[in-house]
Amino acid sequence: MNLETILLLGAIIVPALGSILFFSGFPKSGETLKKLGYLVFGFPCFAAIFLFFRFDSANGYCFEFLYDRMGLQELGITFHLGLNGVSSPLFALAGIVCFCAGLTAVHSGAERLRLYLALLSMMVSGLMGIFACVDLFFYYLFHEFALIPTFIMIGIWGGRDRRSIALEITIYLTLGALISLGGLVALNVLVDAPKFDFPHLSEAIARSPLLESSSSKIFGLLLFGFGILVALFPFHTWAARGYDSAPTSVSMLHAGVLKKFGLYGLIQIAVPLLPSAAECWSPWIMWLALGNIVFVGMVALAQTSFKSMISYGSVMHMGYCFLGVAACSALGAGSAVMLMCAHGLSIALMFLVASFVRKRTNTFEMSEMGGLAERTPLLACFGIAATLATIGLPGFGNFWGEFGIFLSLGESSEHLIFLVIAASGIVLSAIFGLRAVAQIFFGKESEELSEHIQKYPVEDLSSKEILPASFLLGALLFIGLWPISISQRIDEDINQKYNPMFSDSSLAKPSCCPEDTDSSLPVDPSPVE
Amino acid sequence: MISLALSMLFLPLLSALVTLLFLRKNGNLASLLSVCTSAGILILALSLIFGFEEDVQAWDTTWFAMGGWELRFGFLIDAPARLLLFIVAFVGFLIHLFSLGYMAHDSARPRYFGGLSIFMFSMLGITLADNLIMIFVFWELVGFSSYLLIAHYFKTDEASKASRKAFIVNRVGDFGFLIGIVLTYWSFGTVNLIELADLSDFSPSLVTTSLCLALACGFVGKSAQFPLHVWLPDAMAGPTPVSALIHAATMVAAGIYLLLRIDFLFTDQALGLIAFLGAAMGLYAGFCALVQKDIKKILAYSTLSQLGYMAAAFGLGAPGVALFHLTTHAFFKALMFLGSGSVIHACHHEQNIFKYGGLRNRMPITALTFLVGVLAISGVNFLSGYFSKDAILLWAYNFNMPIFIILYAGAILTAVYMFRLYFITFEGQPRSESATNATENSFLMTGPLLTLAVLSIVGGYFALYPQRLGAYLGPDLAVVSSLPHHMWMVVLGTSAWIIGLLFARSFYWKVDQVDPLTRRYPGFYEICQSKLYFDEIYRFYVDKIQDPAARFLEIMELLFISGLMVRGSAGVTALFSMLAKACYVGRIHAYIIWFMVGTLGFLFYSAVLLD
Amino acid sequence: MLTVTPHHFLILAFLLVGIGFLGLLVRRNVLLMLMSLELMLNGINVALLTFSKVGNNLDGGIFVFFIMTVAAAEVAVGLALLVALYKKRNSVLSDDMAYLKN
Repeated sequence: MNLETILLLGAIIVPALGSILFFSGFPKSGETLKKLGYLVFGFPCFAAIFLFFRFDSANGYCFEFLYDRMGLQELGITFHLGLNGVSSPLFALAGIVCFCAGLTAVHSGAERLRLYLALLSMMVSGLMGIFACVDLFFYYLFHEFALIPTFIMIGIWGGRDRRSIALEITIYLTLGALISLGGLVALNVLVDAPKFDFPHLSEAIARSPLLESSSSKIFGLLLFGFGILVALFPFHTWAARGYDSAPTSVSMLHAGVLKKFGLYGLIQIAVPLLPSAAECWSPWIMWLALGNIVFVGMVALAQTSFKSMISYGSVMHMGYCFLGVAACSALGAGSAVMLMCAHGLSIALMFLVASFVRKRTNTFEMSEMGGLAERTPLLACFGIAATLATIGLPGFGNFWGEFGIFLSLGESSEHLIFLVIAASGIVLSAIFGLRAVAQIFFGKESEELSEHIQKYPVEDLSSKEILPASFLLGALLFIGLWPISISQRIDEDINQKYNPMFSDSSLAKPSCCPEDTDSSLPVDPSPVE
Repeated sequence: MISLALSMLFLPLLSALVTLLFLRKNGNLASLLSVCTSAGILILALSLIFGFEEDVQAWDTTWFAMGGWELRFGFLIDAPARLLLFIVAFVGFLIHLFSLGYMAHDSARPRYFGGLSIFMFSMLGITLADNLIMIFVFWELVGFSSYLLIAHYFKTDEASKASRKAFIVNRVGDFGFLIGIVLTYWSFGTVNLIELADLSDFSPSLVTTSLCLALACGFVGKSAQFPLHVWLPDAMAGPTPVSALIHAATMVAAGIYLLLRIDFLFTDQALGLIAFLGAAMGLYAGFCALVQKDIKKILAYSTLSQLGYMAAAFGLGAPGVALFHLTTHAFFKALMFLGSGSVIHACHHEQNIFKYGGLRNRMPITALTFLVGVLAISGVNFLSGYFSKDAILLWAYNFNMPIFIILYAGAILTAVYMFRLYFITFEGQPRSESATNATENSFLMTGPLLTLAVLSIVGGYFALYPQRLGAYLGPDLAVVSSLPHHMWMVVLGTSAWIIGLLFARSFYWKVDQVDPLTRRYPGFYEICQSKLYFDEIYRFYVDKIQDPAARFLEIMELLFISGLMVRGSAGVTALFSMLAKACYVGRIHAYIIWFMVGTLGFLFYSAVLLD
Repeated sequence: MLTVTPHHFLILAFLLVGIGFLGLLVRRNVLLMLMSLELMLNGINVALLTFSKVGNNLDGGIFVFFIMTVAAAEVAVGLALLVALYKKRNSVLSDDMAYLKN
């Protein structure tokens, strides 16, 4: 149990303990509440960044922690924590966004702040746990841990229509989680592995491969289950309205981190375990991802509310990640992970900027704003930077992820049409992103805004607001200017898992289809090197 | 050499960062820092160009690697790079000096100079990069700095719209460029320029028209060719030195530079297409410029026209001539833009030429240098523009007669509208109060004008070019001097500008507040004003096609996906629950009957259905 | 003279159960429904005793004892519930006692 393992465990336990403390009513005054909040949200961030830089890119998992005396050994379930190349950048992402969201919440001045912070720290604990878990059962458990508090938080502190939207989002996401749980349970039952985690499962599958039909069905369950959780078209409607009415910290955490749960599951678990099924399902994923990019992109174009536009935009960018996953190559999957990290940061920054703008103009409708760049130049600076990051300007991390995904699509000529349509997404996102910037920050002030400013004078960003925003922006610039620092870790891990399976083009493409139930031939075994 | 190049590249970035973090409120210090930075860039650039004998240097470091693909960051400083580097550094320095004077009373100087520094960083990156992806990265950064600088006066609707338009139209070009890069990578296995050159020699079958046209989309966007030219005239909403630097001398030239870098990838059909489109743009922009009232818009259309010339030269197979024209154009166009800036500054930001007049007496230096620029662009003999235009025309005459005819007509038109601009602005009597009160500007602004005027005069004498700078131009210009019909071309060229001068003199020597063309040939004037309705077509597309489509899809989403699928499935569940609820009547008799039914059913099942 | 066979007893039992069941279905008065229930139970008792006699063992009779005990207990509870409901609703008709409706 060295320092790193303790930090890893602590990153999950400290927010959980903090949550219990908040629930119990211990911090009485506002000051202790704030200080406890800083500690609870700051510790995971510090731990995650520390572990990110200490990550030694040896193959397999680092900083492992194993506790297997829980009585669930017959099912193969143990409490196994660890970080590998794919999860350590995501763990760092979770830490950073949790810190910024937590800071925003502590300074938000919400009513019943203690309850809010209690729920938020529970969510944080779940989020950190998702990426730190090696065991699949606890992976799912932490996801539920992170999901349930959002129901209460949206229901109480949300905006318009919060009751019905909280209900809708929770039921929808639980349904998605249920479908993916079906896939995970199927994996547990059908694969004879001593432990229910990825290394043992992949070894077991290599030894005795699954039937093609069942592996295809399992992958389908996992795909649609995780897909619902990541807002794959057409299962995306919960996202836009959910983020629209959720309070800022919840939107930041949900869109920034929780949404990546599904993609992480696909990249880390589903595709490496079931490669031929992934290739079968790949056209489906690609077409649906195009639906995300084009359809949802156009819907984002039609929005007049800033927060709705950001929400739809975030759904649109998940389409790129799906394309990367569906390309079934190390380049595609690794770039998808890069984009996930960068996108989480940039969307959290956008939601933060939206909340700053809301505080000053009392509305999200973009037509009622204007000319803010003169009164609040620093806010305009962050707003423009966030928008440019989201639309994929080089210098921010999103560009590298998107570019890698486009590059991976060009590999085979059948994917060219997807490349062309997906690349048009960069123009589409530029259109609505820059339109928003122009309506909010440039131009002349609208009358509603002038009236509002006369009553409540507008100030530029305070130091409490600058801290989380610049932290996120700094992380984005770090990924954008030194992408190799992140990609190196991802690359070694992904190459090991993906290249043996997909680079061998002499393997005949399996002619299976999801509806094909009578093929009982065994799947081509993935050669383990 | 590598550290020299690196420090030259990162110096402006550092200056921009310092301005952003510390000098946001201090305009004087920010402008001084920026000017010193550009001086530093100039010194470093000169030592880079003249200090080394070797042609090519690459600095390889892996910047990004994923799944078997590596992106390396390196420099390629060969002949065209050196020339463009000189232009960017020198003209950039002069424009920084000019900006000190022009923007002296502006309240947002730090933002302006920071943006200029970021632009210098990006443009130097494009010049020095050795692979396509690096070029693409800096390409987009140049687009960003252009966005930032056009939006300098963001309080006006005009600037806000123009900056967005520039960025988005550039993005459309970048979309094609991106697809081209992806295709290049998977066809050739590399994006490094040197390796691509070798590979295309080795296996010419890999070079396809679709590939090079996809890559040329970047050129179409950045250098404002058909059909993505609509952003350049609107970009004049930015401050004048920005227009001079970015939209005349350097950024729009980056497109031509890209073509030069990848000229080994072009097939004959693609070259023919580019030549034709370039020539057409040369003529079209001339007609548009003829009827503009805003001095900067005239110069913008003139830039479009000259870019068309450069594209035509490239398409005819003479990239060296294209680069030559790029160089001379950088000098005289920057000169004229700075001259117009001087005029605008003196006349308190009046930009309508019909409100000028008689400025020759009030601003002699500006008038003289502007005249030099006008003469140069019209192709008056012995000035720089004459040599480069003559080269293009001669090449076209010998290889492609239709293009020659279009280009020649464009040359006459160029002389007409440029002399029109000169006569209306500087000759005659002052037509408004601001013109009456104009005075010559400080040396900070006239110094660069004089320098550029000298360069516009001598810039055409290729023999004067140091070998380090002119190496790329040499071969093509040698071919030009050996082409037949040279004398005939001299006659044609001279007659072109003389005809133009005469036309301009007859129409525009003495004008009042209204363009004389509206009175004498109103129909012709209307056609030219319409600019072939490109802007209107795009506006129509955005307003009538794109936005309604977006709203339609939003309604579809709300109706079908959110409504039918999600609320619908919730409704189906509710239906089942209503059916189940209907059984709970509450009356005990109903339950008794259900009980009987159940029992009978079970008896039936056990007696009959089971065996 | 008609010989009394077990068949007659079974027919008697069937009739008792049938009348009781019909009464249950038709009656609206809860007290009468309870009485019909008792009738059904007694009809079952008759049938059980018949089979006990036919089989020549005491199993049926023992079961009858159990049924009678349970019936008595059930009547006690049922009547107590009925009285409580009457105090609430002032009616003994089953139609007025559809509290669990929807």
